[in-house]
Amino acid sequence: MRKHQGVAAFTTMAMSAGVALALAWASAIPALAAGGVLRARFNADIRSTDPGTNRDANTDGVMGHVVEGLVAFREDTSIGPMLAESWEISPDGKIYTFHLRKGVKFHNGAIMTADDVVWSFKRWLDPATQWRCLSEFSDTGITKILGVDATDPQTVVITLERPTALLLGTLARPDCGQTAILNRDSLTPDGKWREPVATGPFKLGEWKRGQYVDLIRFDDYVSRTEPRDGYTGAKKVEVDKVRVNIIPDSSAAKAGLLSGSLDIINSLSVPEVEELKSHAEVKLSITPALGLTGILLQSNDPLLKAVRIRRALALSLDTKEIADVVMQGTARANNSALPIGSPFHGPVEDQGYTQDIAQARKLLAEAGYKGQPIKMIANKRYSFVFDSAVLVQAMAQAVGLKIDIEVLDWATQLDRYSKGDYQAMAFVYSARLDPSLSFEMLTGPKATQPRKVWDNPEAQEMLRQSMLTIDTAKRQALFDEMHRRFIADVPMIVLFNGSELAALRNNVKGYAGWLYPQPRFWGVSLQ
Amino acid sequence: MLGYLVRRLAMTIPTLLLVAITVFALIRLIPGDPVQVMLGDSTDPAQVEQLRRQMGLDQSIPVQFGYWLAKVAVGDFGHSITNGLAVLPLILERFQVSALIVLVAVTIAACVAVPAGLIAAWRQNSATDLAITAGATLLLSIPSFWLGLLLLLLFGLKLKWLPVIGYVPFSDNFGQAMAFIVLPIATLAMIEIGALTRMSRASSIEVLRLEYVTHARAKGAPEWRVLGRHVLPNAFAPTWTLIGLILGHLLGGIAVIETVFTLPGLGRLLVDSIFARDYPVVQGCLLFTAVIYVVVNLIVDLCYPLFDPRVAAE
Repeated sequence: MRKHQGVAAFTTMAMSAGVALALAWASAIPALAAGGVLRARFNADIRSTDPGTNRDANTDGVMGHVVEGLVAFREDTSIGPMLAESWEISPDGKIYTFHLRKGVKFHNGAIMTADDVVWSFKRWLDPATQWRCLSEFSDTGITKILGVDATDPQTVVITLERPTALLLGTLARPDCGQTAILNRDSLTPDGKWREPVATGPFKLGEWKRGQYVDLIRFDDYVSRTEPRDGYTGAKKVEVDKVRVNIIPDSSAAKAGLLSGSLDIINSLSVPEVEELKSHAEVKLSITPALGLTGILLQSNDPLLKAVRIRRALALSLDTKEIADVVMQGTARANNSALPIGSPFHGPVEDQGYTQDIAQARKLLAEAGYKGQPIKMIANKRYSFVFDSAVLVQAMAQAVGLKIDIEVLDWATQLDRYSKGDYQAMAFVYSARLDPSLSFEMLTGPKATQPRKVWDNPEAQEMLRQSMLTIDTAKRQALFDEMHRRFIADVPMIVLFNGSELAALRNNVKGYAGWLYPQPRFWGVSLQ
Repeated sequence: MLGYLVRRLAMTIPTLLLVAITVFALIRLIPGDPVQVMLGDSTDPAQVEQLRRQMGLDQSIPVQFGYWLAKVAVGDFGHSITNGLAVLPLILERFQVSALIVLVAVTIAACVAVPAGLIAAWRQNSATDLAITAGATLLLSIPSFWLGLLLLLLFGLKLKWLPVIGYVPFSDNFGQAMAFIVLPIATLAMIEIGALTRMSRASSIEVLRLEYVTHARAKGAPEWRVLGRHVLPNAFAPTWTLIGLILGHLLGGIAVIETVFTLPGLGRLLVDSIFARDYPVVQGCLLFTAVIYVVVNLIVDLCYPLFDPRVAAE
């Protein structure tokens, strides 16, 4: 018996020693927090350091700190100056003359001149660069750029084939890499991409793939003087470095924030916001965003081609309640393709669908609806999309519409979306900063662009007009009319524009979200 | 022995080819297009075509497979669709992280489980046995992500002893590197202790009933010698096989742990690549995992004679 005890005692001792060793390691770990380093979280790695080419939303978000273009988006989605001090547009709308700011430095110390702007545009417009926005300046795009010339070291002239309302907006688009002005050192001598040598407030530091990207303060940054405004205005960097940690799992990110390993986490889901509210060491930043969540209805479908059925579905919904429940009060309902924050979203765009059960039932009866099931695709990558689908299903049931939800992974849903292969789908569109582009993502001929949800030739013509005219009042009238027809045709039921939800530790000062769902790390300090 | 080794190695070739074909076909059969995922909701048809051509996805699937196989045969696993990096170095870099965690965790699990199983068997039906068996069953039935999260909450958030996110290679800073991998290793080790203890107990009970054990005791051999010299080596063989299986299984299925603890390992690479439909990386990861599985089990089989001389005799 004593021998038995001996073996058991030995095992216990070995296990205790193991635990003690682990604890000794734990207590020997130095504190990981470092002064002057802001630790943020992105949910996926960036694709490359080459903005506007091999990119996605996260790439745009990181590169938005490193590169700058001639113009940039303000917080109200209007266009403001960035590297250009000012510009004039010729009366025929075809010649843009940009006057550059003086003394702006690249990350390698060189002073930016008109020559750099011409070189950068030449690179963007070269098909070999594979610029995402090159197609906008092709035969089928908004207009053609006929020439980019430097008339003196501070002046650049861009000549267009035809006038457009979208030139400045396109140049400023984050997904176009803000049409960044780059130094030649960004490329290797044989013309390959090396890294962005640009003018932004941060230089690119170490990129440890799958783990983190460092943004290092650019000490010679020449800031604008106006207050911070979207991607323009003053960009004063208050920290030495920003480490953007790549953490796909949101629970891990939340744990990181609560334990003090992270200072900012963005792109939170609504339930996480609710949960974080109870933690005193954390504060929340809730900002309306431009993304658009709604239900797409396939008008080529034998059942849903009947506008009365589509309309009945719209009238069965209380969109305000859906927005309130799904977004827990962080977002407002909106039935318009134009987001609430857009300067073009006016009283006309506020007119949407009002829940009317009796009318919905009547429409269904007139359309001869016999309870045929409608399959609606949703995904769980975006929890608010799935939650919206569930509420729509429940509300539609009240008028007798039978909806079955099919949950797919995001890649599969995107595939079905782009082929137009669905009856109905709960979907989210990313932010479009110009109202023409908001309609462009929905409107088009299904025969050649099956992803388009709204195939109305008159709307397409109005959209074309809205892209050509620079006159704001004329554009507003076009958008108002398009909105009325969009509501009447019911190709899609817009439910709400989302919110950008971020959580920060209390010592983070100066952080502010904006309509565009990307964080800005300038103007942010640690106290 | 050499003939056995050659035969075993030759057998792996058709296995790997089958894995390659299955992986290649399966990933392309599931709907979802890498080009769509890259471009999101804004897809210009001309741009889609250009990107597809650039990635070689405009070719027929057999042609794509042929190209891929020809390249894999010379060690070129192609380049990632999403970030353009060479796949093999990417896999090897991530594999180091996963391999370290899995190897250490399984070693710890074996060091705890084998003696625990032996003790339980030796004291069969006693309170000790009951406690060990119940503990093993409990550990076996806890989902690894849940246990991981619990440990994270306790040591990371409540006690603040360990960092909850991130990873530092050992070459950079040993202390910090340890801090980052203690919890994932503990989680995996605890989960595997359950299975290994049960296996060790079962095989020990079998051996304890054999005549030579009775014979050894009758000769007056001390109990520690009976257990250590006669029971343990013979009872260890089935456990050793299980360790081989667990190693392969863990390397393939470590994604959950890597996600919970934000470790840049092979499992997370695979999962991220599946969601992005990054075909070359998914194929590379799966083929690599299959090779590792085969190699680990080959090593296990080759080590078998060390524990069980009967195998060598056969």
